[in-house]
Amino acid sequence: MMASRRRGRGPRRERSPVATVLSWLYALLLAAPIYYLVVSALKTNIEIFIRPFAIPATWLWENFATAWNSAALGRALLNSVLICAVAIALTLLLAVPASYALARGEGRLSRIITNAFAAGFLIPPFAALIPTVILAIHMGLFFTREFQMLYLPASALPLSVLLLTQFMRTVPRELVESAALDGAGHWHTLTRVFVPIARPGIVSVMILQLLTFWNEYLFSLTITGTAPATRTVQVALPTLISDSTNYGVLAAGTVLTLLPVYIAYSLMSKRMQEALVAGAVKG
Amino acid sequence: MMTTNAPAKAAPPRPSAAKGRAHLRSRKILWFTAPSLAWFAFFSIGPLLAMFVIATLSWKGLIYQPSFVGLENVARVFADPVFRAAIVNSAVQVGIAVPVMIPLSFMLGYHLNSRPRGHRLLSILYFSPGLISISITGMIFYGMMSPNGGVNGLLDLLGLDSLIRPWLADPATALASLITIDLWRGVGWTAVLFSARLSSLPAEVIEAAQIDGAGRFRTMWQIAFPMVKDYASTLTTLQFLWTAFTSAALILLLTHGGPGTSTTTLSYLVYAKAFSQQDLGYSQVVGVFLLVVGVAGMGIINRVFRDRKERI
Repeated sequence: MMASRRRGRGPRRERSPVATVLSWLYALLLAAPIYYLVVSALKTNIEIFIRPFAIPATWLWENFATAWNSAALGRALLNSVLICAVAIALTLLLAVPASYALARGEGRLSRIITNAFAAGFLIPPFAALIPTVILAIHMGLFFTREFQMLYLPASALPLSVLLLTQFMRTVPRELVESAALDGAGHWHTLTRVFVPIARPGIVSVMILQLLTFWNEYLFSLTITGTAPATRTVQVALPTLISDSTNYGVLAAGTVLTLLPVYIAYSLMSKRMQEALVAGAVKG
Repeated sequence: MMTTNAPAKAAPPRPSAAKGRAHLRSRKILWFTAPSLAWFAFFSIGPLLAMFVIATLSWKGLIYQPSFVGLENVARVFADPVFRAAIVNSAVQVGIAVPVMIPLSFMLGYHLNSRPRGHRLLSILYFSPGLISISITGMIFYGMMSPNGGVNGLLDLLGLDSLIRPWLADPATALASLITIDLWRGVGWTAVLFSARLSSLPAEVIEAAQIDGAGRFRTMWQIAFPMVKDYASTLTTLQFLWTAFTSAALILLLTHGGPGTSTTTLSYLVYAKAFSQQDLGYSQVVGVFLLVVGVAGMGIINRVFRDRKERI
């Protein structure tokens, strides 16, 4: 109790003024491009060029409508939502039973499987982009959303399984034993004992992987493709670049694409931060 | 549920049989991992192994029939000056981005963990690049770094007109601009991770060190850093892999490897050879090479951190 309260307040330490200045300087560097993006979204090209960081003289709201229509962002958002929803459901369907087994399993084989997932986590998905495209062609799913729905869970499995296994390990032994003595089968033990206790972990994995799926770019570009009917929002956005880019419209489109993630973040910033940190902690 | 505990204790089964059964059950339960293992093998391991096969094929675009040429591709790739330029570019990118990012973000994370005034706002700002996709990052900096963009506008406001240049279209600054974007994205986000890890350490140790009169800088590097060394090693590995492998996306969005070959990294070369220049064999030789670099780099990072641990 004492320790956790202390930790909440954090250690009282002397702080160097240099560190304070540098930390805010970096914060300013982070914020400047985002500020520039937001003010540019309401300007014409000429105003962006002449008065780059100023507040817009007249607020050009139609940039948003233009971006929405010319990149077909509505359709793209829908495609992204659809791919993310199916992919996350499939991820959990595969990862939850696997982590249940690894949390309960003992012995060499169980360790080997855990290590296999740990090694899999280190493989950067981009490494095998081209063979994956060829796989999509062979499956007859090239330029479809369906392939991404099937592929994204595979790329998310190692981390999801590892994180979920840690959460499933927190289930008290006595609960497992008493369920076994009740004659509960695996399905019952999993859904009635393990899933409720590991729920915070499942939510973390969901948040983490939803964000990863939502932000995925290269596989969406090359496999789902750039056709307006199938492309995701991340692929639709760069189509606003042309030989005569309207920077205001591009900025407006970028803001629109960023908005869903920031709304989610403002609604549950703490949970999201926890989930993302957990995702990186597991190395 | 709990009440059934008692009779079990009264009549325990013979230990050896119970153990045998438990072992059997433990094996059986692992079938639950079969679907995800199969899924991962099919979509991730399969394509990874296929790279090695494709690297030995002459394959001029996805719609054509490939033919086996063995190691011919390897010789062709290694003789290509573009490939050599890509090695240099990747080495520069990784060699600057990672060694700058890790110490800087550790120090910022250490500062963040000391709860300075406004640390909440700082941590939100630092965290936000973690939410922003690569495609959005690309668009933000497409605007910032264009000839009439924010960077040049700012230089103009500050009276530094002589520095104004097309940052992404100038061979002298294109790669540096991309590295800057890597740092822009990575430093704050990694600082938040370090801060989270540092906050899970007992504060007493650091306080004790300061009572002993250890300076700020010494406390940070000689007391706090060794305690998170394993984590620093993990983050370095992840940032290294991330930078080396995924640079293709940002380059595709911003420079297409140019001007000339000034921003052609190994990662972008894999992409460009397959999709723009329709030479899949070449692309996958580079892909395999990148994989080898990745494994070697992980070994080196592991070594560097382990050696330092022994010295302290």
